[in-house]
Amino acid sequence: MTGKQTTTWAAFLATLKRDLLIAFKKKNDIVNPFMFFIIVVSLFPIGISPESDRLTEIAAGVIWISVLLASMLSMDSLYRSDFEDGSLEQLLLSPHPLFFLVLAKNISHWLVSGLPVVLVSPLLAYMLALPSEAYGTLVLSLLLGTPIMSLIGSIAVALTVGLGSRGLILAVITLPMSVPILIFGTLAVQSTLNSQSPVGYLSLMLVMLSVSVSLAPLASGAALKISVN
Amino acid sequence: MWVWFSKLGSPKWFYELSGKWLPWLIAAMVIFMAIGLVWGLLFLPPDYQQGFTSRILIVHVAVAGTSLAFFPLMFVAGTITLVWRMKLADMVAKNAAILGAWFSFVTLATGSLWGSVMWGTWWEWTDSRLVSMLFQLFLLLGVISLRSALEDSDTAAKACALLSIVGCINVVIIKYSVEWWNTLHQVSSPVNMDASSPNGPEFWIATLIMIVAVYLFLSVSLILSTRNEILERERKAQWVQDLVLKS
Repeated sequence: MTGKQTTTWAAFLATLKRDLLIAFKKKNDIVNPFMFFIIVVSLFPIGISPESDRLTEIAAGVIWISVLLASMLSMDSLYRSDFEDGSLEQLLLSPHPLFFLVLAKNISHWLVSGLPVVLVSPLLAYMLALPSEAYGTLVLSLLLGTPIMSLIGSIAVALTVGLGSRGLILAVITLPMSVPILIFGTLAVQSTLNSQSPVGYLSLMLVMLSVSVSLAPLASGAALKISVN
Repeated sequence: MWVWFSKLGSPKWFYELSGKWLPWLIAAMVIFMAIGLVWGLLFLPPDYQQGFTSRILIVHVAVAGTSLAFFPLMFVAGTITLVWRMKLADMVAKNAAILGAWFSFVTLATGSLWGSVMWGTWWEWTDSRLVSMLFQLFLLLGVISLRSALEDSDTAAKACALLSIVGCINVVIIKYSVEWWNTLHQVSSPVNMDASSPNGPEFWIATLIMIVAVYLFLSVSLILSTRNEILERERKAQWVQDLVLKS
């Protein structure tokens, strides 16, 4: 690079800002997975049972699985347009550590796709007759779990970015990996319902989040380098 | 050491060396397999709790134990592919994924057969081994489908190597979290899991023979399929064409 050197922090912020701006301009990519999430959750009472006792039992699982499916759909847009217009190659050529640039992209993606889902979850929990004392745990577990999904999904998206139709292969690769998050997320809510402390499960999720934040962007970066020759 | 290492990476050298090993490995496999299967399935005295059903376990335990070796194997092969760009490691990894999926499937199938008699059900979510084996199968199928989706073989090699490494770490996390999940649901379990530990020294000797046999079977299949892969990928090389002309 010639001229003024930018700091890594500035590059991080610039990537974050750019991705948020693009997301804001292409609202379809955000709105559709969000709508998908709400619609899938609304289908369960119709398909299983409208009785609130039944719904209380399955509420946490239904919300969690719908979140996983919705995040699958929204992941697809993470690197696609950047790959198509060539800015992904620019990102790889940048002198800054790829780790932070990928992390910035993941964070911005989570802000526009994960966070709305977390925020709307109490409303859906109410519709699924989840007792109100479990709302806090549900929101916290989603707050810890959805970023892990974004980080893990990012690896799979990066590996398949060059493919024409990757919607299904993305799900085949990523969904089995989301089992631990699903387990701890739903167990946390269940334990609150059984008036036990969910702190243990939530801290385990925090551990998984910290490990994913420190390792997943490395794997995503390596995967991007493999996909973009 | 490094000369040996880089030599091992050359497909030609591997092809020649494995050609010398194969007859011995196949002979050993046939012997162990024959002893294990004939003795285990036909002559082993019935377990006092499980009756003749325990004989299924001889095959099941051996296959299940072996199927756990695939992700570590792919982890190592993947690391070698990414770090040293060794073509041979990828050829092994490609076939290991397919064999691993088969072994996982056979583990689930024999486990279900045994379970259908002993537990009275073909599938039991409260047994964590069944569940984590199912997800290992899913992860392996994911690796296979990623490879078939990527057309460029060099990209496919590296992408699958990375996915195998991530997958191997994940399999461990899934195994422990499923076990945890299960201990919490165990109370409602309708079946007695303790029935899965039959006794008698003959049983364990037969199982041990079967484990050796299945590992030999794995090595032989892996070597054979890797040799095929070598011939296919190196078909333009002079030594392969000489080999084909000679035969």
